[in-house]
Amino acid sequence: MELSDYIIKSKKLVKDSSMKNVRIAFLSNFTITGIAETMKFLCFKNGIYAESYVSPYNQHIQDILNKSSGLYYFKPDIIFILLDIENFLGDSFYFYYRMNGQQRNDLIQKKFDEVKELIKILEKNTNAKIIVNNLLIPNYSSMGILENKQDFGIKNGISHFNNMLELLSMNNPKLFIFDINLFCSKVGYEFMRDRKISYLGDIKISPSALIKLGFEYMGYIIPLMSMTKKCIVLDLDNTLWGGIVGEDGIENIKLGLEKEGKPFLDFQKRLLELFERGIILVINSKNNYEDAIEVIKSHKYMILKEHHFASMKINWQDKISNMKEIAEELNIGLDSFVYIDDDETNRELMRNFLPEVLVVDLPEDPCFYPSVIEDLTVFNLFNISDEDLNRGRMYADQNKRKQFKVEMVDIESFLKQLEIKVDIMQADKMTIPRIAQLTQKTNQFNLTTRRYQEEDIKSLLEHDKYIIKCINVKDKFGDYGITGVVIIRKYNDEGCWNIDTFLLSCRILGKNIEFSLMQNLIDNAKKAGVKNIHGRFIFTKKNKPAENFLEECGFILDKEENGEKCYVLNIGNEKKNSSYAEVIEWKL
Amino acid sequence: METLKELFARVLDINESEINDNSSPSNVASWDSFNGLMLVSELEKNFNVRFSIGEVMSVRNFKDIMETLKKHNVTEGID
Repeated sequence: MELSDYIIKSKKLVKDSSMKNVRIAFLSNFTITGIAETMKFLCFKNGIYAESYVSPYNQHIQDILNKSSGLYYFKPDIIFILLDIENFLGDSFYFYYRMNGQQRNDLIQKKFDEVKELIKILEKNTNAKIIVNNLLIPNYSSMGILENKQDFGIKNGISHFNNMLELLSMNNPKLFIFDINLFCSKVGYEFMRDRKISYLGDIKISPSALIKLGFEYMGYIIPLMSMTKKCIVLDLDNTLWGGIVGEDGIENIKLGLEKEGKPFLDFQKRLLELFERGIILVINSKNNYEDAIEVIKSHKYMILKEHHFASMKINWQDKISNMKEIAEELNIGLDSFVYIDDDETNRELMRNFLPEVLVVDLPEDPCFYPSVIEDLTVFNLFNISDEDLNRGRMYADQNKRKQFKVEMVDIESFLKQLEIKVDIMQADKMTIPRIAQLTQKTNQFNLTTRRYQEEDIKSLLEHDKYIIKCINVKDKFGDYGITGVVIIRKYNDEGCWNIDTFLLSCRILGKNIEFSLMQNLIDNAKKAGVKNIHGRFIFTKKNKPAENFLEECGFILDKEENGEKCYVLNIGNEKKNSSYAEVIEWKL
Repeated sequence: METLKELFARVLDINESEINDNSSPSNVASWDSFNGLMLVSELEKNFNVRFSIGEVMSVRNFKDIMETLKKHNVTEGID
């Protein structure tokens, strides 16, 4: 598809009521017609309906400075800023060396301060995520081979600018830097700039490169919409290794340090790298179990081992049923999966029967397998917590828990022997990012499904009317990390509390931990002299597991309207539920 | 490879039957300056040619595109 196709097709997209909405703004000092349309099309493919705002030609500065500009009126969720270096530096781009070293240094600093100020104003006037493209380092210098011996040469100057930009974003959860130089090294300088088109229309990024840029920018839209994928489902034959183990035998499959075996090894390395970054790996493959497990256990170059997989469906059952079982076992939604299989028929089946699963095409030539992983932007997060980093391992640990569960006679003794420990903590600087993330990602055990960004949680905390707590859960097999959140709105004058948010990550469901947390909430309410607690269950497609929770705790249904059930608990009427956890509450 | 008519119709989102020698920015609403550039970029790619800026500037209608392509020794796909 060419850029013109994206533009035409994007105009014909019709919004479906089930789609999530996103508002994207583009600010730029050159013509970027086509980027908004490309992203609208790509968003649509991901079930997102995008509306966009593009600043009028070279008026990005006015848009940022003027509080009643079209930009602010549009109320973007995310803003992309693209600055072309030539337009940005003006004549200094060509006559950089008319200035001496000190003047060059001063110019770059001055230019950086301008951008920094604009970002600051933008941050103050909007809650949007701000994505700033860094500056493209020129690939020509009049100094030729002496360029990098110059005091503050043009290459060093622009690199310095980019470094300062990165530093600025380092501890800022709203600001992100898109590395246009990395993008350029990926697609190539000549591909990225179409000189003729740029002279004809001040278009600094070629139409073909603009499409690729749209794909890269989706890496920001996915986490913004809380649609980050969690798990990769893998086939075995001709996917993790070359050949068919059942026919060729373990000694003849292609996997190793040389030639045909190397792409498969590198592919596995890319997967292992993702596992270590918290992505869950599972197998869904049609093989004789014994053949496949022999390779996994004993092939010298099989670097993905049993302990990396949270589930291994190696059987002759159809892959759709396997996939459903995997989702159930891991207790994560089908829309969190990426499916990788060399067989086109299997991919088509998956697309047709389980359209929520992201199906990735593998190229015919295994040499390009590793780059398939490199091109995936669906694992991006705006911040990575310890929980994220350890997710792959935690799910693999879960396999061990399951084996343990089989041996236990009844659920009560099972839960007792798990030695569950729950730490209840007040929200603070360290835990806010994870708390915000949990509100965005938790779908099942979530009473109200209210989504909060980090900034929202911070401003609630500044309010003394709110209590925000989170829980960290451990058992004898390992640490689940921070996996539950409670947000209370206090109406102390009226002697009541209102449960704004009550959620538990699916990782810790089935352990009666929700009852421990509610008991703690009620105990604290009593201490504060509260007479009753109001709670609410807001129906979504996914939160059935939490539907009866308030009733089970003794709350009485007050009214039901607009997909919401409103409950009240008069303190003293609460029901005790068995919980087996040792609870420790940490006071600030 | 697309024919000139196919490409022209696709980029401007019109029917091939609507195209004639005199099709121009004044009678094809979607042929604005931006889509003009899209045409340049996609014609160059499709027919593996490079136009000069002068050639691009002098195109007034569909027939001019055809003639320019002929000048670049393109023979197939332009009738």
